[in-house]
Amino acid sequence: MRIIVCIKQVFDPLTPVNALTIDSDRKKILGSAYTPPVINGYDEQALEAALRIKENWPGGECEIVALSLGERFKLDVMKKALAVGADELVLVDDAAFDTADSVFIARALAAAIHRLGGADLVLCGRQASDWDNAQAPLLLGEMLGWPCLTLARRVEVRNGRVEVERVLSDGSQVMESNLPAVVTVTSELGELRFPPARARLQVARRRPKEMTLKELNVEIGSPAAEVIDVSLLKVERECQYIGGANGAEAGRRLAETLIDAGLISPNGG
Amino acid sequence: MAGILIFAETDAGAILPNFWEQVAAARTLAPQLGSVSVAALGWQIKTDEALRSGAEAVYVLEDERLTEPWPDAHLSALESLCHELHPAMIVMPRTTLGMEVAARLAFRLGGALAQDAMTLQLADDALTITRPVAGGAASATVRLNRAPWIVVPRSGAFTPAEPGAEASAKVVSVQPSISDAALKTRCVSRARQEGETISLERARVIISGGRGLDGPEPFQLLHRIADAIGGAVGASRPPCDSGWVPTSYQIGLTGKMVSPEVYIAVGISGATQHTTGCSSARTIVAINTDKDAPIFRMATYGVVGDWKEVLPAFHAALADRG
Ligand SMILES: Cc1cc2nc3c(=O)[nH]c(=O)nc-3n(C[C@H](O)[C@H](O)[C@H](O)COP(=O)(O)OP(=O)(O)OC[C@H]3O[C@@H](n4cnc5c(N)ncnc54)[C@H](O)[C@@H]3O)c2cc1C
Repeated sequence: MRIIVCIKQVFDPLTPVNALTIDSDRKKILGSAYTPPVINGYDEQALEAALRIKENWPGGECEIVALSLGERFKLDVMKKALAVGADELVLVDDAAFDTADSVFIARALAAAIHRLGGADLVLCGRQASDWDNAQAPLLLGEMLGWPCLTLARRVEVRNGRVEVERVLSDGSQVMESNLPAVVTVTSELGELRFPPARARLQVARRRPKEMTLKELNVEIGSPAAEVIDVSLLKVERECQYIGGANGAEAGRRLAETLIDAGLISPNGG
Repeated sequence: MAGILIFAETDAGAILPNFWEQVAAARTLAPQLGSVSVAALGWQIKTDEALRSGAEAVYVLEDERLTEPWPDAHLSALESLCHELHPAMIVMPRTTLGMEVAARLAFRLGGALAQDAMTLQLADDALTITRPVAGGAASATVRLNRAPWIVVPRSGAFTPAEPGAEASAKVVSVQPSISDAALKTRCVSRARQEGETISLERARVIISGGRGLDGPEPFQLLHRIADAIGGAVGASRPPCDSGWVPTSYQIGLTGKMVSPEVYIAVGISGATQHTTGCSSARTIVAINTDKDAPIFRMATYGVVGDWKEVLPAFHAALADRG
């Protein structure tokens, strides 16, 4: 069993808007220089899904490869994948990957997966928090010609098949397919486990495997959908603080303020 | 390529309410792109509403395999229809199914995808849209360089169109072409949550709880307050991820987009991925122990305090005035 987990380095999605900037071309959002980048949250959860499959794999013969396309990688950030238990980390570093063009990213992922000798299962986060595109895994499935199962809160592999429980807005749905397959993971699956201290020390000496865009042999064409401008959305409202001698008094005053302003009605109106 | 095709998603035969926002979005470009048609996919579809949308034609694609939100089946049926109709623009609903099919359809048709579109503008044969990115922290202007354009309007961006008096559209029944080869996945089972009392999308007042509530029990109090003021209860992502409340409560980028008159956020810090789903509320009220929490920057009224003290008194004051 071979699982490839696609992980992306992104600026911390909890960076306050006021600390974000836009590049001089007005085409990219830059994270704050003071906040280190992170592995995209949903990708961490995809990694957690892979680790759970490996834990329950009979005989333990299950390999997890974490694959990332990006640029200016922070090794200590990306090596977290190794510290939690991925067997290998593969980084493809190129400025071309700093793009909102999901088609190009999916092409490069497909090529990298082939070059790595293929996989039985590719796990991805449901979307990346920088562009919120939620497209690359779907397009990857299309390009590989593999089944694609999305929004999994549970992923199980048995007898050459993968079964997922996917989250829907009004409940859930169990779906399955043959392997190989692409599966996207959602936050309901649970957080990535914390790496043991010992593992964090051990990975300090390990090197990721490196590949180049050239080796992947994919062309950078003009994107079907092209970002031509980006601007930050700063919202500031004047907040009227309601206080009191204690929390209870503030709570009572808040209710009265909202009722008097006609915003809420105490009899369900 | 000409005209606009709206994908009407159905559930138990009924067209989803998102449809009317799609109609509104389509109408903004109808003068330039030509006639609007509807493709309703599902099983035992009630078409009467779609007939009153002002569309020229309603294509009805019925197949039992279109009962569930099964992406492969819907994609296959829609793709073949597009190969026959050659629409210049296809408008998809912002639903789990709609967004997924949109991305794959754009790829298969060799077109371009505009998801979460707030505005649409057609000039020099290119469609340009604006959309929130980075969880709503920024807005991007995106130019679609290849047609057909697959557009998913952002919830709340287009005021829903009203059904007309006349059922003017002609009905065209089409046997959906769903090839077995296209069905690479299988549906095993489906579980639905119990119906919410008041739908979040339609609620006038919403009271939402976040990680600061620290467990499932405090949501009982939120429900009692919501009952008293005729509102609905929502949540940020952590209470849903932790199973304190069902995922259908989640408000935000990957949950529901709501626009109530009043939004009360309790123990919610105000991450952009959450507030992007409630920022169109006329009035936002925040209750949080942290005076620096970002939620206060978008709030009209705020209480810096512990919900354990604030909320019971808030609830009692409602009873006093009721
Ligand atoms: C791509 C992406 C998509 C996402 N989609 C969504 C989404 O759809 N919806 C969503 O909500 N989130 C979403 N998130 C997560 C989001 O970034 C935040 O992590 C999340 O909204 C935080 O939830 P919270 O405010 O409840 O928790 P926290 O940020 O942990 O805030 C808890 C708050 O409670 C306050 N508090 C603690 N104790 C008390 C008390 N006793 N009384 C009063 N206040 C108290 C604290 O001061 C704090 O401000 C998404 C993230 C990403 C990256």
